[in-house]
Amino acid sequence: MTEQLPDVETVRQEVRAWLEENWNPAWKGEAQEGPNRVAWLTQVVDAGWAAPQWPKEWFGREFDDARNRVVREEFARVHAFGTGQDRTNLWINTLLAFATEDLKKQLIPGLMRGEVEMCLLYSEPGAGSDLAGVRTKAERDGDEWVVNGQKVWTSGATRADYGMLIARTNWDVPKHRGLSFFFLPMKQPGIEIRPLRQITNESHFNEVFITDARAPAANLLSNEGDGWKVLVTALAYERSYMGEAARGPRSGNRVKMAEGEDELIALAREAGKLSDTSIRQRIAQVIAWRKLNDLNTARAKADLEVGTSASIMSLGKLAMSRILHETARLRTDLLDAESLLEGSENPRAEDANFLALNAYFTSIGGGTDQVQRNIIGERVLGLPKEPEIDKAVPFRDVKGG
Amino acid sequence: MARLSGEELSTLQDAFTRLLADKCTEEQVRSWMEDRKGYDPTLWKAMSEMGLTSLLVEERHGGAGAGIIAVERVMEQAGSALLGAPLLASAVMSVAALQASGDEDAQSRLLPQLASGSLVATLLITSPEGDWTGKTLGISAERRGDDWVLSGASGFVLHGRGADCWIAVANTDSGPALFEIEPSSHGATCLALPSFDHTLVLDKITLTDTPARQIGDVGSGWQSIQHALDLGLVALAGEQAGGAQRILDITVDYANIRHQFGRPIGSFQAVKHMAADLIVEVESAISAARQAAEKTDDGADDAPAWRYLAGFSCADAFVRSAADAVQMHGGIAFTWEHVAHLYLRRSRADQQLLGSSNYFREQYLCALGG
Ligand SMILES: Cc1cc2nc3c(=O)[nH]c(=O)nc-3n(C[C@H](O)[C@H](O)[C@H](O)COP(=O)(O)OP(=O)(O)OC[C@H]3O[C@@H](n4cnc5c(N)ncnc54)[C@H](O)[C@@H]3O)c2cc1C
Repeated sequence: MTEQLPDVETVRQEVRAWLEENWNPAWKGEAQEGPNRVAWLTQVVDAGWAAPQWPKEWFGREFDDARNRVVREEFARVHAFGTGQDRTNLWINTLLAFATEDLKKQLIPGLMRGEVEMCLLYSEPGAGSDLAGVRTKAERDGDEWVVNGQKVWTSGATRADYGMLIARTNWDVPKHRGLSFFFLPMKQPGIEIRPLRQITNESHFNEVFITDARAPAANLLSNEGDGWKVLVTALAYERSYMGEAARGPRSGNRVKMAEGEDELIALAREAGKLSDTSIRQRIAQVIAWRKLNDLNTARAKADLEVGTSASIMSLGKLAMSRILHETARLRTDLLDAESLLEGSENPRAEDANFLALNAYFTSIGGGTDQVQRNIIGERVLGLPKEPEIDKAVPFRDVKGG
Repeated sequence: MARLSGEELSTLQDAFTRLLADKCTEEQVRSWMEDRKGYDPTLWKAMSEMGLTSLLVEERHGGAGAGIIAVERVMEQAGSALLGAPLLASAVMSVAALQASGDEDAQSRLLPQLASGSLVATLLITSPEGDWTGKTLGISAERRGDDWVLSGASGFVLHGRGADCWIAVANTDSGPALFEIEPSSHGATCLALPSFDHTLVLDKITLTDTPARQIGDVGSGWQSIQHALDLGLVALAGEQAGGAQRILDITVDYANIRHQFGRPIGSFQAVKHMAADLIVEVESAISAARQAAEKTDDGADDAPAWRYLAGFSCADAFVRSAADAVQMHGGIAFTWEHVAHLYLRRSRADQQLLGSSNYFREQYLCALGG
């Protein structure tokens, strides 16, 4: 295979030339939404840059990691988005691993071009850490599944065309064995969406109330009863992204930074605290944590194959949680009294306070730090599993709440 | 001063507990957050009638003369209920500043009204940057004949907009002095600050040639403010200890009822151990706040060190309890509707209010001779 691939420098020249010809820097804010997003993604897909590592069938070039990285670097250099979907597109990775050929053909092209929007229907009020304890149920009715229940923490629910749904299809077996995984169409009467107000006073998430909503039988991933297996793979993808990146400050405030300088150093200088030894120690520590996390992630990824997931990816999210909480504490300590304030007139305080709250996005969302530690202890280190009292009991008999 | 007996104190605390349960519920606190007024005048009136505003004031000025020990205890309860009333600003810090000023006239005019709660006062201490060390004052005073006019600005003023009387420390040619200002005076403006803790009423006050009345001697103004800060720090430590204890209680209750994996989350060691660590923090905070109150009441030589200790250990205990409470609740505490973030916001505010933890840690070591 590798013999037929163009050499790395040729790849670089080709991407660079293509971007020069096609990319408009004005679109760089449209990675999530915007008027040019779909048209641009379509171009990227058609040119074979969206997921260079994938087979030609899925618009790829069968590149290896080195060539793939070059594509990402060139995109990043001009702040273009749309490549790297082989690594970051949770929906497609899940479909590739578990969906029927028909469903893949039906959904993957639209997902790659950003025409099809998605959301996650996992957590429920009674099932967060214990996701296998979901009580939303799906019942077979001819060629369809009928779904009833309630989900929470669904971002993008109002825009979504489909939700990746975990639901119970069998109540008479232990909890992990009675689950199934679906692509549930969201634009239908049985779906009611209510926004949640977050701790940050924003509203990016929703509660989703599902009443007799329907999913075609073909939208079942893997087999009935195999939902847990699908979910574990999909969750590992999600957690690995959370280990790599998190939302930054929201004020838009930019502190003056020297070339290549870390923002914390610049903020400390601005606050007149760059010579404070206790602050210096902490800045050094948090920057080091960040760099080491990047290295760990890169090392874990190099071992990964497309369509699989590794428990070692759980390390990144836990590390990121510590980085984010400590960064927020540091930013607060740089400000003293100023941190009593918020709002756009007080951008530094706004950032410190927002980051202190939003750090929980990483330490709770996608599985809490405590649960991550259990996973690392058991799956990475191979320590004995804690006895699970409800593991062998038919789900019908398990206490919830 | 006459300390309250243990029995008197617990009678007072019981009455306050009942009042808070009735008039300072989470729902009420949230409604005051919406318009950022912090409290309700009817609650203030009831508190005054209960004698809570008079604790620090001497009997000869119509107070209870109960001293800082009782104040600290009452502040524990206030913190527990996230009360946003001007107890600290008016009944503790303004009273303390007046007492230290040695100005008989101002004392007999103002203290009885402060004791009865009919007058609400607040101190203008820091420059707009927020500095409670006295190094930089934001206001300066100038003689105009027999009178004084003040100009400048003060930030982080507690309850500036609701107060009937502002007491400012200002620079004069002969050193800092205290001044009494009527908020409606010429050249005085009060701007609401957007506080991260929406239960906290903070203002920035600007003065331009504003007439003011001198309190105490010129040159000794900062000593009066320092006394107010000393007692304020003890009171604030009480608020922090009480807040920390309450959010831990809320969290432990939840850990008992919330089930995941077929069992209460409190049965997981990860959760149980966090709670155990927190009770060490909380109990230490209560000890620190009460010790600082006792030592201050005694006028002990080592009182400053105990106050500094309380200043950072209570602040940090509250922040940690509230921060861990969010984590221990999981996603539900990431919502606006859940109470945990109100404690987290309050704790982060209290950690900076009269000086930062880092500052007090440094002062503590200095006081220990280090
Ligand atoms: C900002 C945010 C975004 C989110 N986004 C999504 C999303 O996109 N999709 C989605 O489906 N969900 C999402 N969630 C939900 C999230 O996955 C859950 O909140 C999380 O898994 C915790 O579940 P819970 O909230 O029910 O808390 P609980 O499970 O009730 O946890 C409460 C406490 O118990 C601890 N605990 C629970 N079980 C154990 C155990 N076995 N061992 C030790 N400690 C334990 C937890 O660590 C926590 O401290 C999001 C949540 C947040 C806050």
